[in-house]
Amino acid sequence: MSKDSKMRATINQKLTEMGERERLKELLRAKLTECGWRDQLKAHCKDVIKEKGLEHVTVEDLVVEITPKGRVLVPDSVKKELLQRIRAFLAQHAT
Amino acid sequence: GTSFPLVSRGMNEVGLAAKLTCVICSRTRTVHVSSLKIRKTNVVSVMSPAGCPHVNGFKVDNWKQNLRVIYQCFVWSGSAETRKRKAKSCICHMCGAHLNRLHSCLSCVFFGCFTKKHIHEHAKNKRHNLAIDLLYGGIYCFVCQDYIYDKDMEQIAKEEQRKAWKLQGRFFPLFNPSVGPSGLHHSVGEKYSTWEPTKRELELLRHNPKRRKITTNCTIGLRGLINLGNTCFMNCIVQALTHTPLLRDFFLSDRHKCEMQSNSCLVCEMSQLFQEFYSGHRSPHIPFRLLHLVWTHARHLAGYEQQDAHEFLIAALDVLHRHCKDDNGKKANNPNNCNCIIDQIFTGGLQSDVTCQVCHGVSTTIDPFWDISLDLPGSSTPFWPLSPGGDGSTLNGESHLSGATTLTDCLRRFTRPEHLGSSAKIKCSGCHSYQESTKQLTMKKLPIVACFHLKRFEHSAKLRRKIPTYVSFPLELDMTPFMASSKESRMNGQYQQSVDVYSLFAVVNHQGTLESGHYTTFIRQHKDQWFKCDDAVITKASIKDVLDSEGYLLFYHKQFLEYE
Repeated sequence: MSKDSKMRATINQKLTEMGERERLKELLRAKLTECGWRDQLKAHCKDVIKEKGLEHVTVEDLVVEITPKGRVLVPDSVKKELLQRIRAFLAQHAT
Repeated sequence: GTSFPLVSRGMNEVGLAAKLTCVICSRTRTVHVSSLKIRKTNVVSVMSPAGCPHVNGFKVDNWKQNLRVIYQCFVWSGSAETRKRKAKSCICHMCGAHLNRLHSCLSCVFFGCFTKKHIHEHAKNKRHNLAIDLLYGGIYCFVCQDYIYDKDMEQIAKEEQRKAWKLQGRFFPLFNPSVGPSGLHHSVGEKYSTWEPTKRELELLRHNPKRRKITTNCTIGLRGLINLGNTCFMNCIVQALTHTPLLRDFFLSDRHKCEMQSNSCLVCEMSQLFQEFYSGHRSPHIPFRLLHLVWTHARHLAGYEQQDAHEFLIAALDVLHRHCKDDNGKKANNPNNCNCIIDQIFTGGLQSDVTCQVCHGVSTTIDPFWDISLDLPGSSTPFWPLSPGGDGSTLNGESHLSGATTLTDCLRRFTRPEHLGSSAKIKCSGCHSYQESTKQLTMKKLPIVACFHLKRFEHSAKLRRKIPTYVSFPLELDMTPFMASSKESRMNGQYQQSVDVYSLFAVVNHQGTLESGHYTTFIRQHKDQWFKCDDAVITKASIKDVLDSEGYLLFYHKQFLEYE
């Protein structure tokens, strides 16, 4: 594993252990709902299902279709805020 | 709640019996839904409660307890101990990553990425057909190549999710009507659910059996107001506010939590007023408490003289804004940072651009506003001569009978560039000296409710008079041309789309002279029913009555609400 992914894993461990990961998820969920991201992707999901047909669509189809779009559509302000939270948390709990 | 057990009536017929249970009184009724057309494809796609046949290999011995442990430790870690364990062990056994949709094998201790197909490899090599998604708890079958929904497993998942959330202090909805084949309610931590009454609410509903049905013809929300001595200036505004949809929704859903110690909270009084208006009482309401509170908080409006309805509107919004709390629980005293319901609905931003005539540098300021005051032709300030039928005047379908001025004309005048004369030179930061300049106003941000004030009352040093010029105003108003963003688009040669469309919902009129006059209000009910509110008397009005009226305060509501 590269140094970068090692650091990521360590950070993730810390966040999970202290329950901060769940709290961040909650925050992110609320922010993405507020700005309409959730509704946008929901609509896109419906389109994909219509396209592929209700009988034949799989979760995998949806994941493949939604993931790139979802990533792109996250507003910069939300990314900034999450990043700030994580930084603050790590600063507070630095060992 | 409803359940649809399949009932067979004979060999070839399949009928549906719907069992309906009232959540309030618990009575049940069985209804044969024989008129329901069942499409063949629907029958095929109805999911069997037994997921897929491949789970049978898993459902042996102590599988239930094993599954619970997996949920508790690796999916929904509720306690600090399980969280620690999850943090340490939940990484892919092949590449060490913790992202990439990690799955856990159900038959052995193996974690693998889904995205990188590491778990797929494991499934193939070991012939372990089932895996669980550690993010959402879904069960994946490698034979069926899709997530499957087994009723028993779903039940366990739901229970474990609830347990973990309880430990974390999270709310889990009591009833879950949105449960489909999967017993899992949305995803982890999802707080949203459709409304279901709580035990307490059911109790209240049973103890208060009176119900009110809203039909298109009902007059709920309409109520007269007694005139307490020249108080029609207050009554007309109260009618407009009680028929502002978002404000009504805010108060009827009890969103105001009062923190004021004394009994003088105007927001509480507004709340009470909404209760009175939507109570179904048809007798006129006597707003003496409201009047008293207004006298207390807006001294300049006290007394039995006739006051200006527009002044009352601004004073009322100001006091309500001050008495509200913003979302963070702080007093809403900072005008730039407030999130109270008044600001959310009524506050817009007015952009003022001052352009230096020499260096063409632009200095921009944005000020908050609750209303737009528009000059009228016939006042002592010259009205810019605009030819009727000129650009944009037919945009809103306003009548141009005998060259009448339209609301759009007034708005165009309001947003036109104005040359500030040589006696009003502005210090230009680009030129570092006083230069002549032009000033232009545009709307930076429009409020959800836009209030236009036609300046009919002239109070100059020389004269005090009322300007009775007829100004025609539309039912639907497109504000797009007056937006700051539109000005920029026009300068760039871009096409502006009409997104800021508003609908008229209240009109306050003044009859009479400056010395003695009377205020009345037209308000809109349901989609296109209008009523005239003249103190205690409410009468039905036609759209023509409304549009032909003189107009003093015009209330428009945004048609489409946008995200932040």
